[in-house]
Amino acid sequence: MKKRALVVDDNANNLILETDLLDVAGFEVLLAGDASSAILIARKQKPDIIILDVRLPDMRGSEVARILRQDKETRDIPIIFVTASVTTEGREEIKTITNSLFIGKPINTRTFAKEIIQFIK
Amino acid sequence: MATALIDQISKGIVETIHESLLVLDSDLKVILANRSFFDSFEVTPEETLGSFIYDLGNRQWDILQLRELLENIIPEKASFDNYSVENDFPSLGRRTMLLNARQIEQGAGEERIILLAIEDITDRMKLETMLRDSEIRYRHLFETADDGILLLEKKELKIRHVNPAITAMLGYSDEECVGKDMMDIGFPSNTVKVQEILESLDKEGIIHYKDIAVQKRTGQVIDTDIYMVDKANLVQCNVRDVAERKEIEAGLDKAHEELKELTTRLKLADLAKSEFLANMSHELRTPLNSIIGFSEALYDETFGPLNEKQSHYVSNVLSSGKHLLLLINQILDMTKVEAGKMTLTLSSLHMKSLLNEILLLVGDMVAKKKMEILLEIGEDLPNIEADDLKVKEILYNLLSNAVKFTPEGGKIGVRVKKADSEIEIVIWDTGVGIASENMQKIFEAFFRVDTPYSRITEGTGLGLPLSQKLVELHGGNLSVESEGLNKGTLVRFTLPITSRRVA
Repeated sequence: MKKRALVVDDNANNLILETDLLDVAGFEVLLAGDASSAILIARKQKPDIIILDVRLPDMRGSEVARILRQDKETRDIPIIFVTASVTTEGREEIKTITNSLFIGKPINTRTFAKEIIQFIK
Repeated sequence: MATALIDQISKGIVETIHESLLVLDSDLKVILANRSFFDSFEVTPEETLGSFIYDLGNRQWDILQLRELLENIIPEKASFDNYSVENDFPSLGRRTMLLNARQIEQGAGEERIILLAIEDITDRMKLETMLRDSEIRYRHLFETADDGILLLEKKELKIRHVNPAITAMLGYSDEECVGKDMMDIGFPSNTVKVQEILESLDKEGIIHYKDIAVQKRTGQVIDTDIYMVDKANLVQCNVRDVAERKEIEAGLDKAHEELKELTTRLKLADLAKSEFLANMSHELRTPLNSIIGFSEALYDETFGPLNEKQSHYVSNVLSSGKHLLLLINQILDMTKVEAGKMTLTLSSLHMKSLLNEILLLVGDMVAKKKMEILLEIGEDLPNIEADDLKVKEILYNLLSNAVKFTPEGGKIGVRVKKADSEIEIVIWDTGVGIASENMQKIFEAFFRVDTPYSRITEGTGLGLPLSQKLVELHGGNLSVESEGLNKGTLVRFTLPITSRRVA
């Protein structure tokens, strides 16, 4: 069975690239361009992993993660944060979310899918 | 009283009194001298008794004025008081003596004797002169002061004197003020409660009233500051028209307001600058990440094979994108450092691991150019407290420079050792070197020497200056040595083991 990934990013190019890389790696990919759609889709479709950009137009990625963690339907879904921020304060927020990882932007196209597969395991 | 007792008392009086006493016979020889004389003039009885008065103490009493007194005045007048003699006594210096002289007749046939009382009034006169000078000075100040001064007697604080400044300020002459209360010449009655003032002065010595409205003779009211000072037997009251003070205060308030406004504006401008840098950084990197990401995925044939042309073209897009990203990152870092906005995130760094990481990055370049890398890393190298990303940046810049500017088959090396409270890192190469006239210029942004090694497609011209700035931010030092063209280059920089950062 194909693993299901939810990719959330407000930048169209990022969405395309991440989606295609995951698609080639054998994932079924769902897309969301903002926080509210992401939460809706996550609740409805229960993906195996969520790839979340920290900078979304309507909410911070960490906020989205907190909401998902509070809901028992989505509490256990692993989350990978994608962030351009290299400052420790940016990372501090993410550290408090259980079952999460972060990947820096720009993403390494060669290792992106591998890292995600690794994390799900 | 019994004669013996009178005798004893008389002798006692003579020896007890402060004044020096001499008793002379009609030949002016000393019959008697008291203890005070011996003490004051530092002479012994042996030297004194029986001698001529003029012979005493090395003839220091051989004074014209004394002769005048003893030989002329006394024989005629029998007594003379307060005769002043000023003389330069060899043993005492210049002193003024006050003499009382009395002649005593002893009756027919008996010789007369002369009593001489000597008081050294030199010090008293000095004090009197000082006091007089002080009074003159005070009077001068009183008369010429800008502030108005009232002198009040201490019982009922009635005015004794006013100075010309008071007259000028309030319009009352000295005569119009003397004997009056301050209330009578325009001072508000609630500031002049006699009892309270006297008590306060007694306790503190000085009273200060601010902003007291005083009415001039003309009816006009002025604002004043008043100081009352206890001056022993008088109270001195200084009155200052505060128009000037108020002007200064207004000026200060205004300056303060302007300063506050300026500070606020500066803070806002600074904030705007930070935001601009952050925004610019984000805006530049976002599309560039797309360029690199997409072209990399294409180049890797992730979505299908490419022909040679396609592969070549997409490879160019990729390397151009990476070059641009490097350039943007370096420019943004440089801008941040120069704006004073570069902050360091410190952590404990293991130099060996860091170096290995960076060496991996330049590994491809090194292999391609068939170069040899020599590593000399000290044994007990401590971890250092530094910003890991910045240190990696520094190492990458310097190492890639070394590789870039060394011909095929050449050598590059890295030496790391502990040096007291710092670690010293040396990156050397056997490459093109630096001519002495360019030694300063290499630290200028975008400076590049025209050599086959500095092709435009590689390098940004920012690597070295940026590395230097980042080293200095950590509190370290970076320097470059080269013996000249084609003689290789050596870059040496230090980083403190525990942070002494400047950022």
